[in-house]
Amino acid sequence: MIPKLIDPQSVAVVGASTKPGSVGYVILENLVTRFKGEVYPVNPKYDEVELWGRRIKFYKSLSEVKDPVDVVVIATPAPTVPKILEEAGLKGVKSAIIISSGFAEAGNAELENWVKAVAKQYGVRVLGPNCIGIYNAYTNFDTIFLPADRAGRPPPGPLALISQSGAVAAAIMDWAARRRLGLGFLANYGNKADVTEVELMEAFAADDRVKVITVYIEGFKYPGEAKRFLDAARKIAPKKPIVAYKAGRGKAAQRAVKSHTAAMAGAYEMYHGLFQQAGVIEASSVREMFDMAKALATQPPPRGGRVLVVTDSGGMGIQAVDALEALGLEVPEVPESIARELKRELLPFAAVSNPVDVTGSATDEHYKIVLDNLLPTVFFDMALIVTLMQVPGLTKNLAKYVIDSKRYGKPIAVVNFGGSELVQKFEEELEDHGIPVYPTPDRAAKALWALYKYGEVKRRL
Amino acid sequence: MTHPIVARAVAEGRGKLREDEALALLKAYGIPTPEYAVARDEEEAVRAAEQIGYPVAAKIISPQIVHKTDVGGVILGIADPQGVREACRRLREVVKRVPYAELEGVLIQKMVPKGVELIVGAVYDEIFGHVVAFGLGGIFTELYKDISMRIAPIDEQDAVEMIREVKAYRLLTGFRGMPPRDIPAIVDILIKFSRLVEDNPEIREADLNPVIALEEGKGAYVVDARFILQV
Repeated sequence: MIPKLIDPQSVAVVGASTKPGSVGYVILENLVTRFKGEVYPVNPKYDEVELWGRRIKFYKSLSEVKDPVDVVVIATPAPTVPKILEEAGLKGVKSAIIISSGFAEAGNAELENWVKAVAKQYGVRVLGPNCIGIYNAYTNFDTIFLPADRAGRPPPGPLALISQSGAVAAAIMDWAARRRLGLGFLANYGNKADVTEVELMEAFAADDRVKVITVYIEGFKYPGEAKRFLDAARKIAPKKPIVAYKAGRGKAAQRAVKSHTAAMAGAYEMYHGLFQQAGVIEASSVREMFDMAKALATQPPPRGGRVLVVTDSGGMGIQAVDALEALGLEVPEVPESIARELKRELLPFAAVSNPVDVTGSATDEHYKIVLDNLLPTVFFDMALIVTLMQVPGLTKNLAKYVIDSKRYGKPIAVVNFGGSELVQKFEEELEDHGIPVYPTPDRAAKALWALYKYGEVKRRL
Repeated sequence: MTHPIVARAVAEGRGKLREDEALALLKAYGIPTPEYAVARDEEEAVRAAEQIGYPVAAKIISPQIVHKTDVGGVILGIADPQGVREACRRLREVVKRVPYAELEGVLIQKMVPKGVELIVGAVYDEIFGHVVAFGLGGIFTELYKDISMRIAPIDEQDAVEMIREVKAYRLLTGFRGMPPRDIPAIVDILIKFSRLVEDNPEIREADLNPVIALEEGKGAYVVDARFILQV
């Protein structure tokens, strides 16, 4: 249990600073200007300061704060941290986020052990040290010390990210903000002195606002951790998809030289095996992880692996089939009887097998005809729709037909590529209505594969 | 839960199970191995071979020799009593050439018909605990790191996925006119082996190599096994 760590109502910031650009300044600015909760800045150097058009009262110490505090954020020099944590404990605070570095990562394991001991003694749960902490888009609880003008903050949404790396987490956050990707929560655990990725996973599993949990991991740290991850993930996965990207595949191999078999494959295979057993969907890059997460957050898992491909470009259709088949998904033929029907309604030179190529002369209606005739049938489990909007016959109205097809209860992924305003508007319309859009067929195919894989996970676990 | 065979070896401070102990341990967990017997001299070896039935293999049992094949300590395809005697003499010579090695006996083992060779292994990792590994034998497995791993204990579904995951899987389903292999028998070995390592935390490393998979319905057999223990 990590009480209120990801979703506090009141926060004290020890080491809050008025010095622009400092860690204590950025965190204070985040919380004072945006957080929908109480903020208590702690720094004996200041009394009352005028900042961001507000008068801000500083407290000399944590004990001076009389109101209850859900989380203490500590951003002071490392040697001062144990004492501050003790004060937090005495005050009855249950959670702390230690941003400060200079602990085990800097060869100062003793100081970190001291922090652990204090945390244990007072029953304070600690995230970090040496971390960027938490970003919560719903309340703007935001301990990320990177200024918002350099690292964008994503809008509320169904995705949560747990990242071992702080820098990677911040970069993802910025990237997600630019793409309007709904990354509602982000957590970085740094040295992992106390709170682990497993507990963060459980916290996100328990929060209804989170629909998909993404995990960026480089490697476990403590004995027996893999098993704890396995047990926790196995319980969560059938209810909420978990997507993980394990980085450092090659380097990890060096550690596992214990036996002939292990030495051959290296430790990465252990992570791969763990993810398979745990029902965790594995991505091979950060981008792929979010490609998958976006689909998992909006689409139901399919009943099987048969994909209907609809396209206005023969070339894109072929690429889609290549990618789908390489992933073990099927692109079955359109049954004869329906093909005859389609032949009557589509353009004479349209291809009515699968992929269904409505051709570059297609109109919005042609897509609608194909989707309505094929997607509800028992022959297809999901659809990959290529809409190259550059052809003259298509309009923004096509988005409505695609969105309407959600009523068939089968997953849909759209491939839309280009730079014009129409392309962008079309894409926004689809994404706003829960249809994931990708720039290339292989990325859409991988997203559909993740949905298929998640269906298997649900059936199995 | 430690099996007495492992417990005894650990108590005696031995970091490795003897050939016959390794096979007996597998048998105790219901993992199929070809019929075998331990012989102290040529006459015992011949009697064992007669009882088991030819062809047989003869292997040295020596605590000091870890890789028997590398030193010529395995003789295959022995067809008659004369062959058994000759093999025993050759194995004695082999052991003499290895410094400090002692010959404790000769393992006489029924030859398994030709099949697809597999490797089943386990390693103890501090973070992952016991991990079970599966791959097909031969240099390509090593070259392409074509191996699958799972955390022990594994269930039937895990075992099936482990087998399907390796790229060389097609060699088991019938490739280029070769017959399909007994995959359920391999699944059975993987599950029982995972239970074995789970029960015996002293096992640091284990290699069942080779495991020979026969045609569908004819089973799979562990021909050689090596267990390294924590002492």
